[in-house]
Amino acid sequence: MNRDYGRSIFIAVFLAPALVLFTAFVALPGVRALLYSLQRWDGLTEARWVGLDNFARLFREGDLFLIALGHNLFLLAVAGSLILVLALAFAAMLHRRIRGAGLFRVAFFFPNVIAAVAVALLWILLYSATDFGVINAALGAFQRMCHSFGWDWPRVPLPFPFLDSRYLLYSLIPMMVWSAVGFYMVLFLAAMEGIPEEYYEAAKIDGATPLQQFRHITLPLIREVFTVGVVFLVITSLKFFDPIWVMENQRPTRDSHVLTTLLYQKVFTEYNVGYGSAVAVMLFLLVFCATLISLKLSRAERVEY
Amino acid sequence: MRVTLAKSAACLLLCGWFAAVALPLGWVFLNSLRSSQEFVANPFGLPWFLTGSPPDGRLSLEELDAAGARHDAPEIDLPRQLRTQFDLLDADGNGFITEEEARAAGLGEAQWGRSLRLADRPGSRRAAWKEVKANYAKAWVESRFSSFFTNSIIVTGTSLAGILAVGAMASYVLARFTFAGSRALFLFFISGMMIPAQLVLVPLFFQFTWMSQAGTRLLQPFGLELQMHDSLSGLIVIYIALSLPFTILVLTGFFKTLPGELREAGIMDGCGEYRVFWHIMLPLARPGIITAAIFNFIGLWNEYLFALVFVNAADKKTLPLGLASVSMQSQYKTDFGLLFAALVITIAPTLLVYMLLQRRLTRGITVGALKG
Repeated sequence: MNRDYGRSIFIAVFLAPALVLFTAFVALPGVRALLYSLQRWDGLTEARWVGLDNFARLFREGDLFLIALGHNLFLLAVAGSLILVLALAFAAMLHRRIRGAGLFRVAFFFPNVIAAVAVALLWILLYSATDFGVINAALGAFQRMCHSFGWDWPRVPLPFPFLDSRYLLYSLIPMMVWSAVGFYMVLFLAAMEGIPEEYYEAAKIDGATPLQQFRHITLPLIREVFTVGVVFLVITSLKFFDPIWVMENQRPTRDSHVLTTLLYQKVFTEYNVGYGSAVAVMLFLLVFCATLISLKLSRAERVEY
Repeated sequence: MRVTLAKSAACLLLCGWFAAVALPLGWVFLNSLRSSQEFVANPFGLPWFLTGSPPDGRLSLEELDAAGARHDAPEIDLPRQLRTQFDLLDADGNGFITEEEARAAGLGEAQWGRSLRLADRPGSRRAAWKEVKANYAKAWVESRFSSFFTNSIIVTGTSLAGILAVGAMASYVLARFTFAGSRALFLFFISGMMIPAQLVLVPLFFQFTWMSQAGTRLLQPFGLELQMHDSLSGLIVIYIALSLPFTILVLTGFFKTLPGELREAGIMDGCGEYRVFWHIMLPLARPGIITAAIFNFIGLWNEYLFALVFVNAADKKTLPLGLASVSMQSQYKTDFGLLFAALVITIAPTLLVYMLLQRRLTRGITVGALKG
């Protein structure tokens, strides 16, 4: 009896800190975000209940929300597919034991651990439209080379304003691919290394080409990890924030807003807490759905050999 | 034949990507060692102490050598005590010791002679080293990166300790004990994985305001006040709470793999539950704890959004916040040397941790993908 009592105390003591912190700073604020999204509030004066009015605003014609969401989805679709294709290709190459594979793995992953703010600053310097912008300088050299061959190409006047709001989303894509490929490559590589070597040996005896081996052995067997990767990609591109915030000097425009920048601007510069919270709730619902779908998929499609 | 062709294509692609990753980072590092003027003049140049030809018409190293400075460089023939005193002698801090400075320090001609004068000519290696350090000195002192760096260390370190302590305790209980509601509690914590931090950002902002007010009212009799905004501890509390779901998921998984007999054996030998946890279970769980620590470290060291919302005071800023504000302030926009040095200061610690722990990090990568 006495020991049971001591055991309960032990359990309570060990759980209490986590429970208190998580409830007070994650769970309850989460619920309050739902409540805020049903109110009109400027953060100071009395809040007013408005039902689903904030959500109705989000989906009104021409509202920033759908535009911002569209930008998130654009980044996900373009940068995401590039990332997945390159990561799969690199992982497949390193998996087949190319010399220096360890070095490549270490180097490719590194941009992923750099702060997003630092990555953004690095690419600001690379993209700069002044004389010392590296990418513009390279394009200029390319253009001069083309001209010397007598080609009138490329026609774009240089320096090209990569960091202008209008082009920012396109300019972000190389940056995102640059910093994220290594992560997905290492993720896929870890899954590939779990595939028994015998499968490949058997396939080789049957005369399968490397491409066929990749298509019929590697791909099906890393499907589960691939799904995890896709979901991670969806979630990170929905939460995308830091680089746009830095590159736009804290003032994104209609051309460059994404969900989180919109949320920040609505709440902290326009004091429209209800609207901002509605954006946050939508973000939550999207992340939630992505996670659920992935769980469903990864269970349904588990391949057994 | 076809196989070798494919192989060389693969090699080419890999090497190309390697260059795309390594070159910009190398470019940042090299330019952090050059002055802004040098950078603007030629963004692809090397630091002049490597090429040996200094900018703005100074003597090159070869010319100095020809003038006999090679034999008289202070590194070679200055008395040891003088060498350590170089910075003391260099009163105006320009990297060169002038005759006046030497005389002011009470050194006679015999002691420092012609050699020192030559060695301190602009273009000497020591002068170059001073210039190399100039960007870092400016970022560190003038732009307050020393303070950002310290704050980042404090916030990341304390949060990490808190996350691991609180997380390991909860995970151990959730993994090894069954009691009424234990499964529900586990799911409660794990459900936090599906909550994007953005959802709780706004409510926490207002919660901090009234927590500060209520806390200050409570603490008033003791002459204390509670400040949650603009304070490192406020940020730390948020970081701990937000990192718990991921940490608990990883660590419960790990504690479940440890054999249960160990605990029973420990209890048999008269250990209490606390000692079993501390002396048996925690040491065994080290690999899991390290994995959780690495991913949390990288996430926290680089965190920007919450720091942006909860910290305004310049002396409380963390590195990403400081770096962002330096890069966005117009006064620094053309101070490229400073920007490059600031980038290096921000990136270097993660590079160091990554180099030391990359094996564990890439092995635990599947875990990292859960940290959405």
